[in-house]
Amino acid sequence: MSTLETLQDILIDEFALTREQLTPDAELNALGVDSLDLLELMFKIEDRYKLAIRDDVPTTLSTVNDVVLYIDGLLGRQGKALGADGAALHAAT
Amino acid sequence: MNIRRVAVTGLGVVAPLGASIDDLFTNLKAGRSGIARLAAPAFEGLRSPIGACVAFDGAAHFAAAKIRMLDRVSQLALVAAAQAIADAKLDFTTERSERCGVSVGTSMGGAETTDEGYHTIYAERSERVKPYTVLASMTNAAASWIGIDYGICGPNLTYSTACSSSAVALGEAARRIRSGDVDVMLAGGTEAPLTFGVLRAWEAMRTIASPDLHDPSASCRPFAQTRTGLVLGEGAAFVTLEEWNHAVARGAQIRAELTGYGLTTDCAHITRPTVAGQAGAMRAALTSAGLSRDEVDYVNAHGTATLQNDSVETAAIKEVFGKRAYQIPVSSTKSMHGHLLGAAGALEFVIAVASLERGIVPPTMHLDLPDPACDLDYVAGHARSGMILRAVMSNSFAFGGTNAVLIAEQPDNERRRLSRQ
Repeated sequence: MSTLETLQDILIDEFALTREQLTPDAELNALGVDSLDLLELMFKIEDRYKLAIRDDVPTTLSTVNDVVLYIDGLLGRQGKALGADGAALHAAT
Repeated sequence: MNIRRVAVTGLGVVAPLGASIDDLFTNLKAGRSGIARLAAPAFEGLRSPIGACVAFDGAAHFAAAKIRMLDRVSQLALVAAAQAIADAKLDFTTERSERCGVSVGTSMGGAETTDEGYHTIYAERSERVKPYTVLASMTNAAASWIGIDYGICGPNLTYSTACSSSAVALGEAARRIRSGDVDVMLAGGTEAPLTFGVLRAWEAMRTIASPDLHDPSASCRPFAQTRTGLVLGEGAAFVTLEEWNHAVARGAQIRAELTGYGLTTDCAHITRPTVAGQAGAMRAALTSAGLSRDEVDYVNAHGTATLQNDSVETAAIKEVFGKRAYQIPVSSTKSMHGHLLGAAGALEFVIAVASLERGIVPPTMHLDLPDPACDLDYVAGHARSGMILRAVMSNSFAFGGTNAVLIAEQPDNERRRLSRQ
């Protein structure tokens, strides 16, 4: 499962959005996901990818794709390219 | 001088025993209790696992994206406020928004969020404190959300005077209408204290009732010799208050007039009430309503079922009303809906207005054996119908000593109105 799909799944669950709305260039604000929501979202992403995000989420993430790129960047730096099922799976972007 | 009068044009409740005033009052009239054993695993380990819960699921009322920002205390408030607005048939988009305000009483605020945050920090030793913790738990969150949702841009106030919080919120709202600052106030109270942490803290104070082993629903026994303390409840109650001519001009149905508000402080002890303080608040309410002590037809008592309150309140009622105290029906509906703390004053005022409208006095339940120090007519066991009620009083007292008393009258109580002018 790609990072985009995983992020879409989380957003669909938590924000009652549809996959069609969650295109890579969709603006988070326009989707009703504000900066505090994004921080809460990161807890879910930490769990999904076994990442440690802490308090360093940049404030410049404004589109769905920005978040995807940010997660992929962390996955690369923390060397944990794990899929949602825990299998060694490279986040395909 | 032109006296600005305060009309009650809308009622809203989300309470144990009913998510509308009609359902709630039907249950109160029948003497049903909303108090029950708290059976959920979250309450395991409590000495007195009893409370009055509201059958309420916020997810049925709010979108997922919004509910994460709302503690249960704000959810309950928003739903009760929506009822009070709908009942008044008021449309805030056609009102002058800065002439409208919000006034809310709450004692514990977003207690569930606070409890959860502490659990995350201290029990789980986790850094994952929810980003909305501050915004959901702050005491003024409920009032703020009401203001945002309806575009009410005048005063937005939150009062926290423990168990009299929402009586104060209503009284202060009425004063703002009378003074001419505003024309409409949405006023009420909200509380959601049924978390392990809050219940445990109240238990530690030795004020919570011991569960009745045979019938947990009968655990709260105001004025009874066998009373052992209060039972916490959750819920919210709101009223739409309007300047009289504003209500008349838009053809609103006026349910009652809020005529009296008395406020005193005990200045004695942080928990022990005083007869002088409570009596002073009742007298001040009578004075502000321009009523004599012979003109009150029902008192909805604070009646918490704590050892201290009930005998002191009885003595205070006797001091204010003299011999007539024995002729006035006095009841504590807390015996059925529990103690809603910061929401209690608003809920009991709404119940008093419903009594006024229906000519029915709800009972004090579980009062088989009265305390000899409590010798008034507490309407024990059975509601009284067919009463002529012209003016009703609602008492709210508090830890900290802020005593607030409200009086509502029939909207057509012409004789008294004339005598006041």
